[in-house]
Amino acid sequence: MGRIAICWGMLVLLLAAELAATWAGYGIAVCVAAVLMVLVIVLGFMQILRGPKLAVIFALGGLFWLTILLALGSLDSFTRTTVPVPGPALPDRAAGLQEGG
Amino acid sequence: MAQSYLWQDGTLRSWLLTRDHKRIALLYLGSITFFFALGGVGAALIRLQLLEPTGAILSDAAYNRVFTLHGVVMVWLFLVPSIPVTLGNFLVPLMLGARDLAFPRLNLISWYLFVASGLLVLYGLFWGGLETGWTFYTPLSSDYSEGRVLPVVLGIFLNGFSSIATGVNFIVSIHQLRAPGMTWYRLPLMLWALYATSVIFVLATPVLGITLLLLAFERLFRVGVFDPGLGGDPLLFQQMFWFYSHPAVYIMILPGMGVVSEIVSTFCRKPVFGYRFVAWSSVSIAAIGFIVWGHHMFVAGESLYSAIVFSMFSFFVSVPSAIKVFNWLGTMHGGAIRLDAPMLYAMGFIGLFTVGGLTGLFLASLAADVHLTQTYFVVAHFHYIMVGGMVSAYFGGLHYWWPKITGRMYPEIWGRLAAALIFFGFNLTFFPQFILGFEGMPRRYATYPAQFQILNVLSSAGAGILAVAYVMPLVYFGWSLFRGARAPDNPWGATGLEWRTPSPPPTENFAETPVVTTDAYDYGELDARTGVADSGGAHHV
Amino acid sequence: MSDGSVLDHHSPYETPLHRDESAIAGMWLFLASEALLFGGLFLVCLVYSQTRAAGWAAGVRHTDLTIGAVNTLVLITSSAVYTMAVAAGQRGDNRGVVRFGLGAAVLGMAFLALKGVEWGQEFRESLFPGPHFALHGPDSGGAALFYSFYFLATFLHGMHMVVGIGLILWVCRKARHGAFGPAWSTPVDVVGLYWSFVDLVWMLLFPLLYLIGRR
Repeated sequence: MGRIAICWGMLVLLLAAELAATWAGYGIAVCVAAVLMVLVIVLGFMQILRGPKLAVIFALGGLFWLTILLALGSLDSFTRTTVPVPGPALPDRAAGLQEGG
Repeated sequence: MAQSYLWQDGTLRSWLLTRDHKRIALLYLGSITFFFALGGVGAALIRLQLLEPTGAILSDAAYNRVFTLHGVVMVWLFLVPSIPVTLGNFLVPLMLGARDLAFPRLNLISWYLFVASGLLVLYGLFWGGLETGWTFYTPLSSDYSEGRVLPVVLGIFLNGFSSIATGVNFIVSIHQLRAPGMTWYRLPLMLWALYATSVIFVLATPVLGITLLLLAFERLFRVGVFDPGLGGDPLLFQQMFWFYSHPAVYIMILPGMGVVSEIVSTFCRKPVFGYRFVAWSSVSIAAIGFIVWGHHMFVAGESLYSAIVFSMFSFFVSVPSAIKVFNWLGTMHGGAIRLDAPMLYAMGFIGLFTVGGLTGLFLASLAADVHLTQTYFVVAHFHYIMVGGMVSAYFGGLHYWWPKITGRMYPEIWGRLAAALIFFGFNLTFFPQFILGFEGMPRRYATYPAQFQILNVLSSAGAGILAVAYVMPLVYFGWSLFRGARAPDNPWGATGLEWRTPSPPPTENFAETPVVTTDAYDYGELDARTGVADSGGAHHV
Repeated sequence: MSDGSVLDHHSPYETPLHRDESAIAGMWLFLASEALLFGGLFLVCLVYSQTRAAGWAAGVRHTDLTIGAVNTLVLITSSAVYTMAVAAGQRGDNRGVVRFGLGAAVLGMAFLALKGVEWGQEFRESLFPGPHFALHGPDSGGAALFYSFYFLATFLHGMHMVVGIGLILWVCRKARHGAFGPAWSTPVDVVGLYWSFVDLVWMLLFPLLYLIGRR
């Protein structure tokens, strides 16, 4: 019971910290708090370390591949050179749909 | 003696509610054979159409639907599941020395999911049709397509869950259910290959799922997730799609490599040369295979940095693939090679896979890709891997384990004839397409300039031979079920636990849990155990 | 009711512990798969929140922070309460499993109800992207992308909640028949992993949907 109460308290505090950081405009602090909350849940509620060793391997594997997805998946968008097209801008699709529909 | 799994309880109900991995493998075998035939009909229509430059039989719109049908059915309902769900389901517990997979009920659920997904896809393809190709690129699929995008996409979403269930089952089984003494480095190479495949099933398939869900969401509500009109990025769809679909290529080829490792060792009566290299090359193909997907978008406006990175990794993935090919050749070198049908298929695999792999290097090169992409060169390249490689391995594996699965031998002469005919028909179908592509014939068009006709006719003629060659096993396998000679426990004189139990195996696989004392492919131990110099299950103790 | 503390003779396992560890490991593997399902959504968010930063932030500012924060609190509490059910299961306390399990499920339903209220509000304000999208101006495209992400992410998370509540009710039913004992309570544990994972996903979605870019 004690462990669960402590974890719950930590999560509530971290939630408060997130809200405070948002109010102060520290985006990074929000991210850090979110990661900490995930850790509290994985270690405190899901008790990954008390389960079979395979659980840790699978979780780390998932995390590793998630990193590949996010890193290589966004590489293109973040390094692309956009060549402006001369001439009038593209017609607004939303407006087009409204007229057509 | 315990009764075989086939006749333990013959009611239809006992089959449809079975949790026996061997019966589920047969349920899957029936379903994917149906889809293979259906996809084959699509291929036949495509080749008929392309007999004439103006198109012989189909309208342009119908052609688009037919090649989409061919691609969707073959990729998702045949190639991706093929070896894992049939041979894999049957063999994983037997090779491990286990009674069943880790989660037998989940295994049955995965088959029902597969059937449901197949029905949804068929509904979409036949009531309304679809013309997006198997890749569903936006904005064609989200905004412009007049076909049944939603049922097909949702069907494939469901299909993904079936794959994930199979993957979870295999991975946990291989970790948890190894027989006493079965260490990782004593596993048959088939299991290393299936393990690597399962990693891809589990970690890549969900990304396809979410991608298709986003596409369905965009199409259903017209909200513009990938819509450039709203600042969305259509290329992001392709990035996410290929995050799954490129590793899916390795889902298709890795199990084939596992089958070939088993067959080559057995029919040369030698341990696989460089076991650990072959084992780890499966894992590294799966791992590197995850980071090459961007080579599908070199000409689609992908950033140069991204393209360079993906091109480099694409070259890397050829290293473990080459390790496998060289080690198979090293195994054959100096071996007492027996050219039975499975070995003919395996040798076909090695040659055709090599051609497919080497032509892949052309496509991985940024500059060459600009010329070759979206041409028949690409079509020929991936058919050498998928059909020449994977389907050959699948047929090789079916022949190899057919005696174990059914307890009957297939007619060897016919088996060899079909193998030779498939090899010949395949090359006649697809080699001309390399030349067509190099000369600039684009893929996915219903018509073509008259100068390409000779090569197209050759290709279509090859497809005719291939069709006949694929029907042959269907006939003689069916025949052997009733008339084939009774199979001994170990007809090929192979190592591996699956050969230590009766053909067909009893429901619980082994009368008592086997204990493993030697490496895989230890023919000395096999001879000592059976007391025969040149094997033969007839003398089995 | 079969007693899970012994193996039936078709089981592929050697001992009950062997089986239970495999079930836990299998669930973690499935959760790794689920992480990549949501990973695709996070990739969309990562890309668009950078390439269409202004519109994306405009979207974030229109979400209802109060409901979002309350819901986060509800879900934290629900996950904690269910963890107490897990502890009860390990003691073999079936009544405890039912009590805490139902508590967690009710909190889960409260989350969904609040989410429903929030969605209703957003539909009334025409924040669902499409021809009648409420936000205008040069950044409206990015805001529409944000709301596409918002609705799909909350829908997908909500679906996971529904499945999770169903699983919890299934566990409660088993517990009411006295299925669990100190030797065996694996289903309670496995469902707990899933329920905490759904909670975990929300811990990431909450900042992405409500916080980052608000100021």
